[in-house]
Amino acid sequence: MSDASLLILLSTLSTGLIMGAIFALVAAGVTIVYGCVWLPNASNGQFFLAAALLAWTLTSSFGWNSWWASLAVLALGILVAYALEWVLIRRLYDTPNRNVAYFVVTLGLTQIMSGMFSLTYAKWSDQFSLPPLIAGLTMVGPMPISNNRLLLMVMSLATLALLFALLRYHPYGRALRAVFQNREAAALRGVNVRAIYKLSFVLGSTIIFLGGLLFALAYSFDLTVAWTMSITAFAIMIIGGPGSVLGAVVVGMTFGFTQAIVSIFASPTAATFSYLGAMLIMLLFKPNGLFKR
Amino acid sequence: MKSSALSRVARYLVAGSVALTAVSGMAQTGNPIKIGFITELTGPWAFFGTSCVAGLKMATDEINKAGGVLKRPLEFIIQDNQTNSSLALASARNLDINDKVVALSGPTSSDVALALYGYAEQQRLPMLVPVAAFPQLTKPGTKYTFRIEPSAVGWGYAMAKFIEQRKPGAKVALMHSDAALMRAIMAGFRYQAPRSKLTIVSDFLFPQGSSDATVQAAQVKAANPDYVIVSGAGAFDNVLTNQLLDLGIKPEQIIHPYGITTQVFGWGSRSVGSIYGTFFDHGLDKLTEEGKSFIARFDAAAGRPPSYVENYCYVTPYIFKQALEAAGTDDREKLRNALSQLKTKEFTSGVPIEFDKNGARKEYMYFMEILSVDGKRTYKSKQQYYIEWDPEVIPVYDLVK
Repeated sequence: MSDASLLILLSTLSTGLIMGAIFALVAAGVTIVYGCVWLPNASNGQFFLAAALLAWTLTSSFGWNSWWASLAVLALGILVAYALEWVLIRRLYDTPNRNVAYFVVTLGLTQIMSGMFSLTYAKWSDQFSLPPLIAGLTMVGPMPISNNRLLLMVMSLATLALLFALLRYHPYGRALRAVFQNREAAALRGVNVRAIYKLSFVLGSTIIFLGGLLFALAYSFDLTVAWTMSITAFAIMIIGGPGSVLGAVVVGMTFGFTQAIVSIFASPTAATFSYLGAMLIMLLFKPNGLFKR
Repeated sequence: MKSSALSRVARYLVAGSVALTAVSGMAQTGNPIKIGFITELTGPWAFFGTSCVAGLKMATDEINKAGGVLKRPLEFIIQDNQTNSSLALASARNLDINDKVVALSGPTSSDVALALYGYAEQQRLPMLVPVAAFPQLTKPGTKYTFRIEPSAVGWGYAMAKFIEQRKPGAKVALMHSDAALMRAIMAGFRYQAPRSKLTIVSDFLFPQGSSDATVQAAQVKAANPDYVIVSGAGAFDNVLTNQLLDLGIKPEQIIHPYGITTQVFGWGSRSVGSIYGTFFDHGLDKLTEEGKSFIARFDAAAGRPPSYVENYCYVTPYIFKQALEAAGTDDREKLRNALSQLKTKEFTSGVPIEFDKNGARKEYMYFMEILSVDGKRTYKSKQQYYIEWDPEVIPVYDLVK
């Protein structure tokens, strides 16, 4: 294999891995909240963007390094998620057809957040980027790859692994999965369903925040990323099976690789639409998604 | 008696001061000459609209402090179109009917400008577009719309001429977003490239919302071009640039069709040596004293040097001033005729301003090399090339419909 072909192959792998891992993380966050609370969070893209913008503010306006900024944003994200659950989300836990009510509420949140960003950040710049977590390049065969990108790839995959471990082995994770599968049965077995609702909302929202942070550390971004990510996360959740974290991860990674591969053999434009086409076909043949929750 | 005399004096004083105020008001101001300025203060284009208004306000204040226009104050009624063509159109109607503006201006987005174009032409309302480069804004038959910024198709032509003189027979790769502006630039380049004996070795179009181009950067690297023309929408421009640099493309090989201050900051010190096109920059070889003063004052107020966006919006009130003074009245038809006959120079840089029969400007472009980037405060650049051309030197209106 020539160096040029190897370069293209390695770049496809690296793009697939990092994009796939970020897609999978965000979709996992969305599906945890939907699967457990029955809350289709229309504002997930704005949460994602909020994390990226806050980190940008801390690094560019306050001169923090990216490590401290990321930790602060993550901590703040957890607090905001708790506050939101306490002020807004828990009030609809017992509403009939609450998925519709939640969708409307989060659409409102989307409008408010996007308006706020438009009145502030949009006036300050048309593009944003964070300083890398670490500097330098590493040669992987003929391909130079930035150490920052390598680290982010490892962090994204490690977070996915941790999430799986949490859901599989930790008592909270098991309780969460029990509520996913059957709320009434879980309640009969002594699971505090409302506490699990809260936990899953905070966990899911924090994962979306983390996805926004990792994205901002890997790429420059602008305000349009909120819509792109929102649509992508919903598409992954639907194909993977609403409420299935495994589905979100498998489909998220597949999307990442599909985009990278289709962009070589067809075009970057075809790559962007390929997963939406896949979603439509999937809905025709398997309306409940690939994986059961 | 005493109190009645006092109250009489007080009444005279009040009456006198009211009369004085009225007389002095008439002498200094008269009724303002109103121009509707419909721009993007929110929405995806908010940064451009906001930057534009900063330049506009500086010039309007200067003009009014110096006595206004036709002994009347010049007033720009600024309205936010939210980067939305329908809202822009509603604003235009409102400004036309209720405020009776003499002209329109303001859009920095080509899409919004195109929506206003139809209204201006239909209602015979002069419109001076400060920062929108889509060629169809001055398509043949245009009467009332005038475009200050050169057509984007022409930018592609200018880039080909620049590369032709820098490296004859060069191999060039194109990477650009699927947006109207970028499509127009690349159409001009693709048309001119073979005429300038340049070879396009790869050509990648990215849909809006793309976030990664590592694979395409690797394909470009494999094609071994002499230059890569990079033009991404919004933040994707940075992504493209960084991913090319990551893979070993040298900054000297990268050409950005256009660059504003925040873009140069975004490209950062890694891009020292790369080239960008522009229409105004603080690093130009020939700046007028007024231009230097504008840069210093804008920098002091905004904390960064102005780019061509702010310059065009700074120049806009002065173009209106000259045209209104030439017309001698605020009659719309006479203002339109004065604009079409205007032969002047951009007083910040000295480049000519004159419009052809369709309202397109005598076009020009600078190509700058980045010398250093100092965080988010300033950067240094050096002028490498300057070119002027006739708006229809290539078939701009056929290349982009």
